[in-house]
Amino acid sequence: MVKTVNIAIASVGGQGGLTLSRVLAVAAVLDGLSVRTGETLGMAQRYGSVVSYVRIGARVFSPTFSESEGDYLLGLELLETARALRLLKPSGLVIVSDTIRPPVTASLNREVYDKNKLVDYIRSYAETLVVPAQKLATEVGNPRAANMVLLGVFHRHQDLITDTSMRKAISEVVPPKWLESSLRAFELGLSFIEKR
Amino acid sequence: MVNVLKAPAGVKLALMGNEAIARGLVEAGASVVTGYPGTPSSEVIMTLHEFGAGSEVYVEWAVNERVAFEVAYGASIGGARAAVTMKAPGASVALDPIVSSAYGGVEGGLMVLVADDPGPHTTQTEQDNRWLGFLAKLPLVSPSSPQEAKDLTVSSFDLSERIKLPVILRTTTRVNHSIGEVRLGPIRPPKKASLFKKDIPRFVRAGMLWNLERHKWLNKQLAAVEEVFERVSTVPNTVEGSSELCIVTEGSAYNYVAEAVSELGADVRVVKLTLLYPIPKKFLSKALDRCDKVLVVEELDPYLELVVKSLLAELDARVTVYGKSTGHLPLEGELNRKSVHNAVLTTLLASKVAVSTQSHSVAHQDVRIAPRPPPMCPGCPHRNMYIALLMGIARAGYRRDEVPVFGDIGCYALGVQPPLEAIWTEHSMGASISMAMGLKVAGYDKPVVAVIGDSTFYHAGVQSLVEAVHKQVDVLVVIADNSVVAMTGHQSTPAWSELESGRRSRPVPIESIIRAIGVDYVEVVDPYDIDSSIATFETLLKKPGVKVVISRHPCALMEARLRGVYRRYRVVSDRCVGCLACIRVTGCPAMFFDGSKVKIVEEDCLGCGLCARFCPYKAIEVVKLG
Ligand code: SF4
Ligand code: SF4
Repeated sequence: MVKTVNIAIASVGGQGGLTLSRVLAVAAVLDGLSVRTGETLGMAQRYGSVVSYVRIGARVFSPTFSESEGDYLLGLELLETARALRLLKPSGLVIVSDTIRPPVTASLNREVYDKNKLVDYIRSYAETLVVPAQKLATEVGNPRAANMVLLGVFHRHQDLITDTSMRKAISEVVPPKWLESSLRAFELGLSFIEKR
Repeated sequence: MVNVLKAPAGVKLALMGNEAIARGLVEAGASVVTGYPGTPSSEVIMTLHEFGAGSEVYVEWAVNERVAFEVAYGASIGGARAAVTMKAPGASVALDPIVSSAYGGVEGGLMVLVADDPGPHTTQTEQDNRWLGFLAKLPLVSPSSPQEAKDLTVSSFDLSERIKLPVILRTTTRVNHSIGEVRLGPIRPPKKASLFKKDIPRFVRAGMLWNLERHKWLNKQLAAVEEVFERVSTVPNTVEGSSELCIVTEGSAYNYVAEAVSELGADVRVVKLTLLYPIPKKFLSKALDRCDKVLVVEELDPYLELVVKSLLAELDARVTVYGKSTGHLPLEGELNRKSVHNAVLTTLLASKVAVSTQSHSVAHQDVRIAPRPPPMCPGCPHRNMYIALLMGIARAGYRRDEVPVFGDIGCYALGVQPPLEAIWTEHSMGASISMAMGLKVAGYDKPVVAVIGDSTFYHAGVQSLVEAVHKQVDVLVVIADNSVVAMTGHQSTPAWSELESGRRSRPVPIESIIRAIGVDYVEVVDPYDIDSSIATFETLLKKPGVKVVISRHPCALMEARLRGVYRRYRVVSDRCVGCLACIRVTGCPAMFFDGSKVKIVEEDCLGCGLCARFCPYKAIEVVKLG
């Protein structure tokens, strides 16, 4: 029997976290698996902290999971990823874009974040892959496709969803206009190897 | 993308609860669907719009929930299948006609979707609309998953038509906004109005004897609901297991129960209710037979807990009931896997040790991460409006803290976040004007201001403005008109000339309403023209009477989507001294401080130019795009 896999997606509202959870959900159903996602929607989430939950398994009920239950944490931004770490098991895997977006509240207080310190903090918590997702997405001409780069990296590190279903799900969810560049961003993620 | 409304029966899709309900409406043959946008209910009608429900079906947003309900009710007494959607507080707006509808009853099926929001995630209160069943005396059903949401939508119509009453489909955010696998069912053709039979005692609530008779009829119908529900509902009330340790649950809460019981490997009887009003007494009495301990797992109020306790008392059964009143589950906020797991463990399994709800991150708390509450978007015209208003107040010779700004419900309520912290209240739809008036008539001697969005004004602000004009109160009303219902995902307002469905509509301009009401002053300003906005506020604050400023500029996101971004701004590094005036004034989320200078995130800037206006060093310059 398939064990339920818990995935948290941390992002700043508008970065494409919802698209990620939708692709994963569609792919899981294409593979005949059970899925539940839990998310907060609405324009009012834009530029705010957003966490989406995705749970995939043989028979899933709960749309969310609790602290220390996550197997994967996909992060589109470093601060939001650090904030969501509590959701991850110590044996879980963090896949995070090296993007940093200081919130207004920090700038108002002249607070500044050090990228390396944040990465170290995340690493001290669990195994972490830091991906230059924004840069890779820009290379394919679609800076909004950082989420697809992360999806590619995730795809390489999981054995739940088949390759065919993942690609089919991307093409079902991403609007035709962005599909080609999204698939290329996914490829770049797939072949990404972290150099440290 | 697969068209969820047209895909054939038998197909299994990953659908969000609201998409599943939209599909259910098509499967049920609803021919009139209306509602007012409100998270987490909006995507039902948005899905019908996106995928085109077909020309046979009327799918439109209404000006508010009560109008929406009345439209749907009018359709259903003429034999059509109709549905209406709303968020939790919307049910209170529609309550008057909802309660009366129980007396007249329906002909075509009528489903009322009421989406509650435990958490709360996006709602002003944790209102529990399961009480609506008792209050309005209408059948109420509750799904636990997207699949059940779809199936129950169809069953609600079948139940409604047989029992001749509207049926409330009550959901929660974790059903509406959760994606799950859903197997589709067959589609029935839309059921349109057939014949409205004149029946005065039934539909005219002016006769008190008729009303008394209809109340008797209503009680008779309610007595039959359980049996009809059992016959027609494809989502039944269920019992799993036969242990003397019992759980009673419903809706989203069931999901946590199902997982806790299987993970604990516990021998527990799980009673899951779908029909929550009237209480399925026959079923529940049998389901609770020989229970020794009962744990009630539900979100929001201890509704089922009261039901179970009163039923057990009626049955004269001596059973310990655990739940919210015993402190084993919280009275506020959402449930989750751990809280339910712990409740099962400490009550039914009498374990002293609960799983820790503490995460293991405690040891790592050495990096402080500033909170990121949702701000107004970059380029948002509401930001300009608030800045102009606050500066206008100062220029008129008042202190910011002596001129209360009454807010209202919509994106512009985000003006409460730092650095603006502009509004003093946000209460209920339309309340800004009436509450400001209340303070004024109570003798407050400084000016009062009400800020209300365009859609909220149409929804419930018009009557408040009539009241203020009629009573000749001194109040400044700012209508923040961004030409769209922005907060809930960009729905149409009554000012539009063509709707999401493709229907041509006649615009009802805000100006015409305001002029007809007869306010003392009305001015239209573009908040992007910040200096003339400031001057307008300054002038009007000094005048007596009801003054309306329509601060009009399209939602920046919508504008960028429709017309593209034609200019952006950037900080010229050597001119920036890091004084932070730009961020302190605007709080624009496209800007951040890098330790010595300010930077603008290129792809986020929508080019409003506000920050440049307030940089004392002229360090922010425009970049024209091709
Ligand atoms: S206001 Fe001008 S000088 Fe001051 S921080 Fe902003 S860009 Fe730099
Ligand atoms: S111009 Fe300035 S205030 Fe306007 S969106 Fe761009 S960064 Fe924000």
